[in-house]
Amino acid sequence: MTANLTDSKVERQVGMVLDLNKCLNCQTCTIACKKLWNQDAGTDYTYWNNVETLPGTGYPKHWQDLGGRDGKGQVKPGTVPNLDTQYGRAWNFNHKQVFGREDGKKGLKVWLRPEGKSRPKWGANWDEDHGTGSYPEDNHYFYMPRLCNHCTHPACLAACPRGSIEKRSEDGIVVVNQDRCHGYRFCVEACPYKKVYFDTQRQVAAKCIFCFPRVEEGEPPACARQCPGRLRFVGFVDDREGPIWKLVHKWKVAIPLHPQYGLSPNVFYVPPMSPRKLDAQGRPTAEPRIAISYLESLFGKDVHRALATVEAEREKKKHGKPSELMDLLIAYDWNENFRIPARSPLDERSTNGHS
Amino acid sequence: MATHELIAAPVGLQPGAYVKVAYAGRDQAATPAADLDLQKAGQGYRIALQWACPDPVKSIEGNTDVWVDAAAVLAPAAPGAPWITMGAENLPVVGALWRADREDLYRIDAEGLGSVRREAAPEGWRATSKYERGFWTVVFELDAWPSLRKQKMIALAVWRGDAQDRGGLKSVSQGWINVEV
Repeated sequence: MTANLTDSKVERQVGMVLDLNKCLNCQTCTIACKKLWNQDAGTDYTYWNNVETLPGTGYPKHWQDLGGRDGKGQVKPGTVPNLDTQYGRAWNFNHKQVFGREDGKKGLKVWLRPEGKSRPKWGANWDEDHGTGSYPEDNHYFYMPRLCNHCTHPACLAACPRGSIEKRSEDGIVVVNQDRCHGYRFCVEACPYKKVYFDTQRQVAAKCIFCFPRVEEGEPPACARQCPGRLRFVGFVDDREGPIWKLVHKWKVAIPLHPQYGLSPNVFYVPPMSPRKLDAQGRPTAEPRIAISYLESLFGKDVHRALATVEAEREKKKHGKPSELMDLLIAYDWNENFRIPARSPLDERSTNGHS
Repeated sequence: MATHELIAAPVGLQPGAYVKVAYAGRDQAATPAADLDLQKAGQGYRIALQWACPDPVKSIEGNTDVWVDAAAVLAPAAPGAPWITMGAENLPVVGALWRADREDLYRIDAEGLGSVRREAAPEGWRATSKYERGFWTVVFELDAWPSLRKQKMIALAVWRGDAQDRGGLKSVSQGWINVEV
């Protein structure tokens, strides 16, 4: 009866790599996820997958300051973000007014805008494309897609007094057992990435499930499969023929976000390169626009090696030399971005020669 | 009505790695006392519970960071069941949970912290509540409660929403309260 709150041992761990040099901020991943999983009234404010502009405030607002774990991996009291000031309520738009004109008049004179008594003051992507710096010397920004990291040591799982959060042994995907959840929201507080949400109608926790019904069929999560930029790679982290092992362990160019939290995320990022800053005369300097200290604050010291490796391999490729890493990141055949063995009975039948 | 002092449920006992650290030092009961009146009513009981609550929270109202007021009465379902941990393995406890945002009671069963099961209360279990002049009054009307009849002990718990009480963050009676029923 007592809740099992020890670290779950998993047989295998699925992972994802996102190459930040290729993200367009098109939000196709966000929409693919939201249309699939989160359209109910209680979760209309949630984005299991979001893309934020960095440097920036993120979603929820200033999530990196909301606690859960400190810089040494220790528990730090966290807060549950406020719906109005930190997440932002879902907006309703005047779609009917704009697209449903029945007066026969031609021409669009009504702009698409949020409906409501007062103008919205905050929402996800409020500071989209703002970035930082001064034009033309060093203005810059990049895009950071974020989802649950399906950590090896999930803070959410450890925080739940009821044992309502489980790490699936077959693939390491972290899921909420909503039948057990009583909506205390300690998991929301404890996750330093703020990737556990509260369904305000059903009053239970809700989070990214890494599209496990798709993964079980050998399909990548919707956010990865729909990505037009081909920046996402999905597979098992111990598969030496797969993209995750190659990018994370062989080439060491994919690194976790905020490793100092000590949770061992299984979502990894290829950090962004950037053009050079300009001097007062408009000439390129040796300094990248995205400060390495800023990237270090996100990814830790391994970001130096990751960037150096990507740059060195890019130079090789530019000079016509072969580069396994560049070929992988370019994603010539994007089906190779995903290597997930199907586990369904249907697949077993087809591989046995039955249709 | 008899007044019973309440204590903060010990945070150090809470399951999991987070609550006991993040809420360490939370040793003051958000609700320091509650009045209890327990009367036999036919084959069952009428239990009135009243406590001071300056800022009632009656609904989550679609918010993420709001917790509602709640209260529970608990009885041992086996001799020797500990009250502070809501029972233990093979030493169950059983009770009724009222929440300010629900008309119907929950029946709760537990065998230790983190093991509470909530389900719709039996048809004969009802509660009425009112908030007046800074006080909640909740009257539990239970047509039968065999555990209370057998063990003749009850424990109280109050959750104050505006203090972010929930789960193990609660004010509880200082032990089982012996009752004459």
